[in-house]
Amino acid sequence: MDLQRLKPHLPWITLIVLVVFVGITDSNFLKPANLLELAGDIVPLFIMALGLTFAIYIGGIDLSAQSMANMITVVASVYLASLGLWVAVLCVLLGFGLGLLSGFVTTRLFVPSFISTLAVGGVCFSVAQWLSGNRALNMDAEQRNALFGWMIGRTGIIPNELFIAAGLLALCLFIERRTTLGRALKAVGAGEMAAAASGLNVTRYKMLAFAISGALAAVAGLLFSVKLSGGAPTIANGFLLPAIVAVLVGGTPLTGGVGGVLNTAIGTLIVAVIRASMLYFGVQATQQQMVFGLVLIAAIALTIDRSKLRTVK
Amino acid sequence: MYQLKAVEKKFPGVHALKSVDFEIKRGEIVGLVGENGAGKSTLMKVIYGAYQPDGGTVMIDGKAVRFQNPRQAMEKGIGMVFQEQSLIPNLTVMENIFLGYEQQFVRLGVINWKAMSAAASRQLAKVKLDIDPATVTSALSFAQRQLVELAKVLTLEERVDGDLVILLDEPTSVLAEDEVKMLFAIVRELTKRASFIFVSHRMDEVMQLSDRIYVMKDGAVVDVVPQGGATVEQIQHKMVGRNVDREYYREQRQKPYDASKVLLRMDGVSLPGRIKDISLKLHAGEVLCLVGTEGSGREAILRTIYGMRTPVAGTLQIKGQAVASFNPQAAVSAGVGYVPRERKIEGIVAGMNVFENMTLSQMGRYSRAGVLNVTAERALARDWIAKLSIKAHSELADCGNLSGGNQQKVVLSKWRSGGSDIMLLDHPTRGLDIGAKEDVYEMIRDMSDDGVGVILVADTLEEAIGLSHSIIVLKDGAIQQRFDCLPGAKPTLFDLLHYMI
Repeated sequence: MDLQRLKPHLPWITLIVLVVFVGITDSNFLKPANLLELAGDIVPLFIMALGLTFAIYIGGIDLSAQSMANMITVVASVYLASLGLWVAVLCVLLGFGLGLLSGFVTTRLFVPSFISTLAVGGVCFSVAQWLSGNRALNMDAEQRNALFGWMIGRTGIIPNELFIAAGLLALCLFIERRTTLGRALKAVGAGEMAAAASGLNVTRYKMLAFAISGALAAVAGLLFSVKLSGGAPTIANGFLLPAIVAVLVGGTPLTGGVGGVLNTAIGTLIVAVIRASMLYFGVQATQQQMVFGLVLIAAIALTIDRSKLRTVK
Repeated sequence: MYQLKAVEKKFPGVHALKSVDFEIKRGEIVGLVGENGAGKSTLMKVIYGAYQPDGGTVMIDGKAVRFQNPRQAMEKGIGMVFQEQSLIPNLTVMENIFLGYEQQFVRLGVINWKAMSAAASRQLAKVKLDIDPATVTSALSFAQRQLVELAKVLTLEERVDGDLVILLDEPTSVLAEDEVKMLFAIVRELTKRASFIFVSHRMDEVMQLSDRIYVMKDGAVVDVVPQGGATVEQIQHKMVGRNVDREYYREQRQKPYDASKVLLRMDGVSLPGRIKDISLKLHAGEVLCLVGTEGSGREAILRTIYGMRTPVAGTLQIKGQAVASFNPQAAVSAGVGYVPRERKIEGIVAGMNVFENMTLSQMGRYSRAGVLNVTAERALARDWIAKLSIKAHSELADCGNLSGGNQQKVVLSKWRSGGSDIMLLDHPTRGLDIGAKEDVYEMIRDMSDDGVGVILVADTLEEAIGLSHSIIVLKDGAIQQRFDCLPGAKPTLFDLLHYMI
């Protein structure tokens, strides 16, 4: 069996190998309670990675996701008291709108997405600092529990976050596999020129991909702030690298067109296992990003479709 | 002295070279002819080291060699003069000539421009070009640049010990007649320095210049003809494998078009730097051919109609409606279909399967509230796979893995199934084998029968003449002449060439 045919199966093989490996070294790892807790903890990261998948699927990238989540934790903490449940709507709209802005800058002003999203991310970060006065904010615990408590409770032994994750995954999978939007995004990722020559409004679909990415980053931020019952402009730092790793090790290459949200689900689980195993092996929190950086380089080198690249700058 | 033995090359879905034997002697000029897609460019790429053969041997003076890249081939004396010129326009002539080989003029890390200029002048003298080597390349005429390119390759003479083999890829395609004569005189004289492989579409020129002619068809060398050993018609017959006659282009199926029904009308359309003051009409059932050299504005006209470019002057009417906003979405909904020249880049989406490609331009028709009806899509694809006998294992086959002809059929059925009645075909037979070409010709006649108007940019002039009801000849973005092409009273190649150059 040659490498090309093996490639699509690498993500889940990697996952199983990792799980077995960590399971053998640490007997507590494979206990259901532990696995569920691990899965529950990774959900905000998963939601962010889910959004990123759309940006990467079309061959772009969204570097604003982490700053977006940061900003949303602040926005949610500040406006929970005055807006109540509506704060959720505000957060998602904000994420969607700023994503659209990234998309606009990318498609209409011809700025590569890694720069346009970096710039929008800078704006988000600054808004978060300004809005919070550069302090950590707390939510009113009672109001949080009343309005958003359902997000973080448990049903039986299963953390509720997992239901949210499953719901969003199902929704994204439906968009990807069954809608004209999903088909158009695939065409843009796999062959943008052909998509344009088929009369697709490529600009609009690309902007939508960034908007979805922004909206899901906002959902991730909202969930995170509910979990921590507060927000701060740097609270979600350390999310971006693992989220990109999750998308890429899942099998959606930077060049786009193949892979998808289901791959990202597997990729996120790989990230979760790597993260857990680092704890067992005594890798300090300060060193974790080193590992993720190296994994990211390996994942890009393995997945990227070099035939689509003419030059790299 | 240079020899290929049983060379093989395969790409996914294509057997590009089938056991090719090829030989060139010292000081010889060898012609290489074949239809587009016959394997000429693949063979050339193997010769100058851009491709590595999958089988067979490459030999120089009886010794087997293997090139990993063009630079290694150059070190063995094999140079290429590119059709799409490879000179960098914003560098000077001498910088271009010695690009990548400046080291010989470097003293203490600084280039001695005087020495380089003198050396460049010596090279330019070989091709009898009297220009200042410090001229910026973009200031030269096309013919001059062609000669600079040749001079650049001739620097191999000083660098390499053995004999030189120089490939000329379509060197005359945009030269005027006297420039061609001059180039040929220079090439003949240079045979004491090098052997030449001459690739061209213009059969008369190949026959005039070459000592022997290799004829390729479908990836194999079908014959080697000595100078004066065959007529143009005989060679053409060998290239195509049958008579290139009225039957080949389905001329017996050419019916008069409906002159009362104007599908499309352009009036005084201009795009700066591309086309000026273009006026034309397309009728139902008509095949209108745009003829001209590369860059004469053929593609710009197609892209304007398809809404990919917005003209600065003039009007475009589609079925009586003036086009207000130029974008492909509007064009598609007005019934325009576009088969681009770069099939693999713009025609099909590799990585998507047959049914996804077929409905890409018409997803609205196969969805409700944005949700796709995949069952209906697959049924449509199965229907057209059967109708056009597309060779794919099923509608789920990845289009990237289909052969060129089948990819083109997918692109054509994408538009035909969507009911497009104005079809823009840009080199629809490029890179297809003979059988697939005939299928495309057949489809074009079918479209005419259905009242579809076709604007065609053909792969060869013969094809343009054979298929069309009318021909418009373009030069430098302007219309030179219009021809009616009634069956039996078609213009000749010479009629067209006269207005093209």
